[in-house]
Amino acid sequence: MTRWLYAGLAVVLTGLALYPIEATGYGIRFMLQLFMWIALAQSWNLISGLTGYVSFGHVAFFGMGAYAAGILIVTLGWPWLVAALAGGVMAMALALVIGWPCLRLKGPYFAIAMLGLNEVLRVAASYYEGLTGGGNGLSLPTLYASVQIYYVMGLLALAVTALTYVIITSRFGLRLMTIREDEVAAEAMGIDTFRYKLYAFLLSAVAPGIAGGLAARDQGYIEPISVFPLITTITMIVMALFGGKGTIWGPVLGAVILFTFQEMVWARFIYLHQLLFGAVIVAVVLLMPRGILGVLQQKYNLPRTI
Amino acid sequence: MPPILEIARVVKRFGGVAAVNGVSLALEPGRIYGLIGPNGSGKTTLFNCITGIETRDEGEVRFKGRRIDGWPPHRVFHLGIGRTFQIIRVFPELTALENLLVVTTSSYADARRRAEELLGFVKLERLAGEYAGNLSYGQQKLVEFVRVLMTDPELILLDEPAAGVNRTLLNELLDAVRAQRDRGKTVLLVEHDMKVVMGLCETVFVLDHGEKLAEGTPGVIQSDERVIEAYFGR
Repeated sequence: MTRWLYAGLAVVLTGLALYPIEATGYGIRFMLQLFMWIALAQSWNLISGLTGYVSFGHVAFFGMGAYAAGILIVTLGWPWLVAALAGGVMAMALALVIGWPCLRLKGPYFAIAMLGLNEVLRVAASYYEGLTGGGNGLSLPTLYASVQIYYVMGLLALAVTALTYVIITSRFGLRLMTIREDEVAAEAMGIDTFRYKLYAFLLSAVAPGIAGGLAARDQGYIEPISVFPLITTITMIVMALFGGKGTIWGPVLGAVILFTFQEMVWARFIYLHQLLFGAVIVAVVLLMPRGILGVLQQKYNLPRTI
Repeated sequence: MPPILEIARVVKRFGGVAAVNGVSLALEPGRIYGLIGPNGSGKTTLFNCITGIETRDEGEVRFKGRRIDGWPPHRVFHLGIGRTFQIIRVFPELTALENLLVVTTSSYADARRRAEELLGFVKLERLAGEYAGNLSYGQQKLVEFVRVLMTDPELILLDEPAAGVNRTLLNELLDAVRAQRDRGKTVLLVEHDMKVVMGLCETVFVLDHGEKLAEGTPGVIQSDERVIEAYFGR
């Protein structure tokens, strides 16, 4: 069964690699954003799905990457790819600064701190006008690079998913799960929970930072409300929960289904789609707290690799 | 022989209540010790102070002569003190095997071999791939017990190992505890089942209201009037 899964994956990846040859501009943008959501949902999964420490402000890393890359492109003229990678490094540095004090605390403090962090960054981005353009936003030089960004974003989504695979199939990943299962017991069984949480958190910040940098380049214009919206955090959480948190393919599945659904419904009902999205959240939490893959894994006793 | 664990005048307060109030005791290596006392007498809190889950307010905890009070639990564990919990704390969504694998820092192959050996030792090899949360209460207790043995600790603290375990499983567990003692390991167990305590332990400590009330062989403890009073009232 696993072999068929990977054969299918190879076909899908080949198709996606060839897709830009035939695709419309809309198609490229659609896929590019889908890749972004996979990378975001999967990153959230790394810290929150595995250790159970819910990050309510993961978009902070996205915004950090967007501004870092945007500023590097505008003021220093860095190539966009290098600037986006630098955005990932900056996001990781931010994760270190916020994780060092907050991950020492057990319980809900971390979730609240992350929520606050995002608000603080948004205000900071509005305030430091000299660097960020403040509320007027930051315009990047015109450049048509959607196809290149499509490939980089695709590789990013693939890389985070591969990283998740490596982690979940290793003892490192199992130890992260022990924190979710019972943190006191994990400590008592010799696991340095703070260090493990911090590692997971640092890893979970990189891809959102890079994705932020790529999105900034793709959109050509960023402003505080466009790169630090709470709804982005909520969307990545819902995608991961819907597909199955703590699994390898759950966040991918959640992103694909919900993003496609959102785009199709959104095109028709501009006001109704938020209502429907809200309904999906409620339904998932009430009926399927483990998500699609979580339910299948339990029911059919599937291995963790599926 | 010098004691492997030495506790001196340990105090732990919660608000105005001293859950442990100046307890001193010493354990010699290669013996099984019992820790008994009425509910709320401070047994579990004392365990928590030894393993670093609670930080003691006063006093010293020494393991092999080394001060360990104030150490975080994971460091205490890797120094050679393993424990189980009064309320089972297996990792329910990890398999029985994975519950054991996460504990050691040795290579994966070594860890796997040891984990399979230990599950076989308590006759759970068949259930190695089952989620720990799906096992019966007694089986979970056995998983928790052998999980502690993964690093071959010098001192094993067991918090009510017999509670809720059926006779067959219990005998296996008690044999396993004796086997550890025979290998030179030290065991300290909290237990309410007096048959278990009297049959297993060489020395028994009695706690009452956070203080050590008595210490001695099971025979001496059973006939100690203060102990009887603490349990049954005057």
